[in-house]
Amino acid sequence: MPLGTIERKPPAFFKHGMSSLSKLVVFSILSVVLMVADVRYGVTQPLRATISLLLYPMEWLSMRPQWLFDVAGRFFEGRDDAQAQVQAMTLKLQQQALRSGQVEQLALENLQLRRLLELRERLTSSTLAAEVLYDSADPFTRKVVIDKGALQGVQPSSPVMDDAGVLGQVTRVMPLVSEVTLVIDREQSIPVLNVRTGARGVAYGEAGGAPLLELRYMAANADIEVGDLLTTSGVDAIYPPGVPVAVVVKVERRAESVFARILCQPQGRVQGARHVMVLEPLGKQVPARPPYERPSTLPIKGGPR
Amino acid sequence: MIMPRGQQLLLPANPWFIFLSLLSAQLLNMVLNMLLVGNAAWAPDFLAVVLVFWCVHQPQRVGIGVAFFFGIFNDVQHSSLLGQHALSYTVLGYCAVLIHRRLLWFKEPSQSLQVLPLFVLAHVLELSVRMLSGSLFPGWWILLAPVLEALAWPLVSVFLLAPQRRAPDPDENRPL
Repeated sequence: MPLGTIERKPPAFFKHGMSSLSKLVVFSILSVVLMVADVRYGVTQPLRATISLLLYPMEWLSMRPQWLFDVAGRFFEGRDDAQAQVQAMTLKLQQQALRSGQVEQLALENLQLRRLLELRERLTSSTLAAEVLYDSADPFTRKVVIDKGALQGVQPSSPVMDDAGVLGQVTRVMPLVSEVTLVIDREQSIPVLNVRTGARGVAYGEAGGAPLLELRYMAANADIEVGDLLTTSGVDAIYPPGVPVAVVVKVERRAESVFARILCQPQGRVQGARHVMVLEPLGKQVPARPPYERPSTLPIKGGPR
Repeated sequence: MIMPRGQQLLLPANPWFIFLSLLSAQLLNMVLNMLLVGNAAWAPDFLAVVLVFWCVHQPQRVGIGVAFFFGIFNDVQHSSLLGQHALSYTVLGYCAVLIHRRLLWFKEPSQSLQVLPLFVLAHVLELSVRMLSGSLFPGWWILLAPVLEALAWPLVSVFLLAPQRRAPDPDENRPL
């Protein structure tokens, strides 16, 4: 029998192992314990880091189609060039049109990179250039994965920005990659400053799931208008001050509410950023708070003698 | 084992093939995520389909434990709550083992109709866990995911049973 038609040795007659129901109960309890450990105590990071390292070859492999498309695109472009040189002038004209399109694209990329460099000069914190690999597959959050991790010196809670503004914050660092929670995530908040009025506030990700920010807890009669630019205020000791965050796009003042509902459009390209910068959290540079001195106890009038 | 009349006797499944099919389902999910759909809520989870398939066809080899461990790996890859997929895959595995004797008496289209409630249950579990932990509601497109998974069932069945449908004694005139 070439392929081996006998399944395997017959199943044990008396020894059956755990029943399906008990397996269900055991593994369900285990998953619930893991979830609680993850959310409440945050002790699962070593497990995550280990599994992430194991998964890295698969991630590398699954990014190959993209890479292959790029390489194939370059190959066929090169062949087109060669053909165009051989062929007549009519084709050359067409190719020049194609080229001019590419030049525009390259000029745009150059401009973006130059802006990034300028931004780095303006900021004092040390930076690390990174590339966005992919959107995290979890539909319940707004995260992206970047190609720098703990081995390259990324620290948790580092701010991440592109050339236009703040993008988000590093929330989980794996050995080779890190996860960046975008500012539009519902659980992400960022202290901002209204450039026109100087009023400070806190912007949160919009709860409805749209790629917007919501400036909460501003009084209904607060001086805020559509088109106001919000920048980081720098009071949080994480983000450097003065980086653009968002522009107000909608102000809703309702009679029944004490607070206005203010929606803002993020300035960083939260959908489709490619080249980003990871900054060192400012907290490392801010001098430590002076030690708390216990006020000397004054002798109490009429106290014990 | 009593079998439906006219059903082909299958060759034994290769354990390596089972393992590789699970890995490639995970890979397919990742490629879909990175290349095409991003973090869309309606994206079908092929790993769940392949897990249910093997739990139904080879319950001695792939069961609740394997489903649990693949769930953990999926959680880390998704960067979701650790244990979310593990819980839903555990329940999927249990339900698949429950219905595995009955399911194989039906043709593939009616099978996919019968596994649809399993996938719905898995997605409802994931959704409720995330809602309880205070995450964003991903939108009603999430209802499409179990339907797409059930629609993928016949295709997955044809692909994964192909090696077992080879002839037991291949020769020159009949290589497959």
